[in-house]
Amino acid sequence: MASLAETRITPAAESTHAPRATEYLVFRPSHLLIYGFLVLGAIISLVPFAYMILGSFKSYGNIINNVFWPWPPFGSDSLQWSNFGAAVQQVGWDSQWHTWLFVRYAANSTIVAFCTVTGVLVTSSLAAYAFAQMNLPGKNVLFALVLATIMVPSDLSLVPKVVMMFQLHWYNTYAALIAPFMVSVFGIFLLRQFFLQIPRDLYDAAQIDGAGHLRYLVSVVVPISYPAVVTIALFTFIWSWDEFKWPLLVTRDSNMRVLGVGLQQFIVGDGGTNMQLLMALSTLIVLPVLVVFFLVQRHFAEAIIASSIKG
Amino acid sequence: MVGVGAARVKRRAAADQENQGGDGVFRGKVLSRRQVLAGLGGVVAAGVLAACSGSQSGQTAQPTAASSSAAQPTQAAAPTAASAATKAPVATTVAQPTTAAQPTAAAATTPTVAATTSASTSGLLTKPDQVDALDIKGKGVQVVYWHNRPQKDQDMLQSMLDGFNKSNPYGIQARAEIGGASYNDVYNKLNAAIQAGQPPEMAVAYQNQAAFYRAQGAVIDLNPFLQSKTYGLSQADLDDYFQTFLDSDRNPQFKGERLGFPTQRSIEVMYYNSDWINKLGFSTVPQDWTSWEQSAGKGSDASKKMYGYAFIHDASNFASEIFSRGGRILSEDGSAYVFNSQAGIDALTLEQQLFKNKWAVEILPSERYGEQTRFAAGDIMYVFSSSSGLPFYQDAVQKGGKFKWDIALLPHPGTPGVNLYGASVSVFKTTPEKELAAWEVIKFLGQTAQTAKWAIATGYLPVRKSAKDIVVSAYKNDPKWGPVADSYAKMFDWFQYAQIESPVAGYDAVRTLIDQDVMSKVITDSSVSPKSLLDAAVTKSNQILQENAPKNQ
Repeated sequence: MASLAETRITPAAESTHAPRATEYLVFRPSHLLIYGFLVLGAIISLVPFAYMILGSFKSYGNIINNVFWPWPPFGSDSLQWSNFGAAVQQVGWDSQWHTWLFVRYAANSTIVAFCTVTGVLVTSSLAAYAFAQMNLPGKNVLFALVLATIMVPSDLSLVPKVVMMFQLHWYNTYAALIAPFMVSVFGIFLLRQFFLQIPRDLYDAAQIDGAGHLRYLVSVVVPISYPAVVTIALFTFIWSWDEFKWPLLVTRDSNMRVLGVGLQQFIVGDGGTNMQLLMALSTLIVLPVLVVFFLVQRHFAEAIIASSIKG
Repeated sequence: MVGVGAARVKRRAAADQENQGGDGVFRGKVLSRRQVLAGLGGVVAAGVLAACSGSQSGQTAQPTAASSSAAQPTQAAAPTAASAATKAPVATTVAQPTTAAQPTAAAATTPTVAATTSASTSGLLTKPDQVDALDIKGKGVQVVYWHNRPQKDQDMLQSMLDGFNKSNPYGIQARAEIGGASYNDVYNKLNAAIQAGQPPEMAVAYQNQAAFYRAQGAVIDLNPFLQSKTYGLSQADLDDYFQTFLDSDRNPQFKGERLGFPTQRSIEVMYYNSDWINKLGFSTVPQDWTSWEQSAGKGSDASKKMYGYAFIHDASNFASEIFSRGGRILSEDGSAYVFNSQAGIDALTLEQQLFKNKWAVEILPSERYGEQTRFAAGDIMYVFSSSSGLPFYQDAVQKGGKFKWDIALLPHPGTPGVNLYGASVSVFKTTPEKELAAWEVIKFLGQTAQTAKWAIATGYLPVRKSAKDIVVSAYKNDPKWGPVADSYAKMFDWFQYAQIESPVAGYDAVRTLIDQDVMSKVITDSSVSPKSLLDAAVTKSNQILQENAPKNQ
C-alpha cells in the first residue's frame, strides 16, 4: 500500500514526477490540436453565460431585434443597469419583512443552502467513515443498499416525499426545504472512496495517541480528505441553490420561496416574458455560485486529481 | 481481524479515559473539534430557529427596511388587513388536518373508495336544497385559493379578496396563494396535495385537469351551488355570463357535472403584421386558408429568416386550426377523439406544405416565446396565440419592430371556430361549509366589477357581458394601446364561436401525443401522410381516454 503521505506531500511528488512534468513543456504539433479542442470546449461552455450577461444589459428592444452588441463601438446604446432594479422590483414586495421579495428569496436560499451543506457534510462523513474504516457485519450489503437509492429516479419518489412533508406538518417550513436533502448518497460515496485510501496505520497511530473513532474522524480523516469535503460542499451548495421543483411543491407562501422559484415568475404561463429582466435576475442568482466556485476551485481540482490516485 | 477489533474496543475505552484527562497529542486539536461542533450546532440551531419563525414570524419580524416604503407599489392600500389575513390561516391550516378534515383525509389514502363511500356521508352535496340548508354565518370559514399568476397579480387578487373578506355577510376569510408559475405547476402541486389529503379549498384548473381531480373524488360538482335558492345565481346573473364560458365547464365525462366555474377567459387569436401584408398587396387580413397561405408564401424569405408563420410545439395551435375548419378534437359527448377528420387532415397538410416551401419556422420549446419576439422584430407575419398575450405583444412591438399589427380570427371557410382558453376555478372536497365559502368567493370574483378589474390588469377577458364596456373603455382610455383597443373590443363578438379542446381526464397526455407523434413529424417529413399519422394518434388517444375514464360512474 502506497502511503498517503507519499501522494500528498508535494516535494516528494514533485521529485518523482519531475521528468514527466517537463515533457509537457516541449511543444508538439499534437498539442495544438488538443489545445484547440480544449479552447473550443471552453468557448462552448461559456456561450450561455455570455448570452445571459450580455442579455442582462440590453434593452428590451435590442433583445427583440436580436442585436448582439448594442453598445459602443458598434452601437449607441448604454448599459442597461436599470434592468437589475426592474427585475428585482418585478419579483414583488414582501409585506412581512418590508423588503423586496428578492431579498427574502435570497435569504431563504442562503439559509437552505447553508443548512443543507452542513447536514450533508456531517451525515456523509459519518456514514462514509463507517463504510470505509470500520468493520461492521454486512457493511457491503448496506453500502449497496445506499447506492441503490441513486438508481430510483428522484421524480418517482417526489409525490410520496411531498405527502410525507404534509403529514409531518412541515409543509411551508424550512424543515421541508432542508431536511430531505441533508443526506447525500453522492457525498457518502465520494467520501468513502477517499477514506478507503487512508491507511489503517494512521488509525493505529491515532489510537495510540488516545483517539476514538469520532476524534480520529474529526481530527485526522476529515482534514486529510479536505479536497473531497470541499467538493461535496460545493456540489451540494450548487444543487441546493439551483433547486426549483421541490421548493415550489412544498412551499405555499411567497415569503417561504427560494430564488429559483422567484426566477420562474418571469416565465408566465400565459402571455410572454421580458427576456432582459429574466437574464438580469439569472445573473444575480448565478453570481454567488460563481463566487463560491472560484473561491474553492483549487480544492475542487485537487479532489479530482487525488481521487484518481491508487491507494 | 476479530482480535484486532476487540483490542480496539479496549483501547478505545482507554483512549476515552485519556481524553478526559486532556492528555495526548490530540490535546491541541480539542479546541478545533469544539469549534467545529459549536459551528455546526450554531448553524443547525439557526436553521431550526429560522424554520420556526418562517411560518409565524409576522409578529416578530419587523426588521430593516421600513425606509423604502415609498417604493412599494400595490400593497400600500391595505397592508394591515393583508398581513392579518395572511397570518391567521397559516396557523389554522397547519393545525387543521387532525381535526376538521376527515373527508379529505379519507380521500387521500384511498381515492376510489372515498369517492364511492363519501356520497353517503355529509361530504358530498348533490342537491340544491342541501346547499340551501347550510348556514356558515359567523363561523369564520377560511378559504385558500391557488392560482398561477405572478406576484403583482397575486397582490391585486389579495386586495380584491380583502375587500370580500370585509364585506361578505358570512365572515368568510379568503386568501390567494401562488400555486406555481404555470397551469402545469399548479396541476402538479395539486396532485401532490390531493394525495396528501390537504388540497386548498379552491384552485385554477383546466377542464381536463378538473376531470382528473374529479376521477379521484377530489373536486365537487358546482351545479347544486349554482341552483341553490339561497346561494345560487339569479337568472339575470346567469344571462349576464357569456354562455359559451359557462357551458365549457359542464363535463360530459361526468354526466354534465360542473367541475369548475369561470372567473376569467382568453381565446386563441391570430396576431398579424398588417404593415407587412399591406405591402404584399393584401388590403385586409386573409379570411380563408388559401389566400392566407398565399400571403405567407409571398412574404417569406428563408435567407433573411423572414417567415409567414411560426410553428410552436403546442397542441392548441393544431386544435385552433381544426376548430376554424369546423372540426373537433373530442366528440361532443366526450366518448372519443375525432381529430382525424378532414379538418385535421387539411390543417396538417397545410403545415406540411408551409415547411416544405420554407414559409414557416419551427420555434423550439427552448426558445420560449420566440414566436412573440420574432414577430415583434418583424420577422414573422402570423402567430396563433392566446389573447392573454396582448399586453406582451403590444409592449414587444412598440420596442421592437414598431410596425402596425392587429389580431383577427383564424381564417375560416365557414362559421368561425374559436379555441377557448383561460382555466376555471374548481372547488375541492373539504367540508360543506368550506365548499360553500369557496363558491361565494367564485361568485365574488365573477361580479362585474371584479372580473373587469382582473381583466384590465391581466389581459384576460371578463366573464360577464356587463363588464365589456368597462374593460373596453379602460383599454381605449389608455393611450399605449392605440388601435389595439379596438381589436380587443372585437374579441367580444367572437365568444359565440368559442369551444374548448377537451374536458376529459388524460388530455394532457394526448396533447403531448399530438405534438410529438403528429405535428413534429409533418413539419420535418414532407412525404409522410397526415391521415395515417392522425389515425394512429387517434387510436392511441382513445386508449388514453379509456385508461383515464372514471371507473365508478
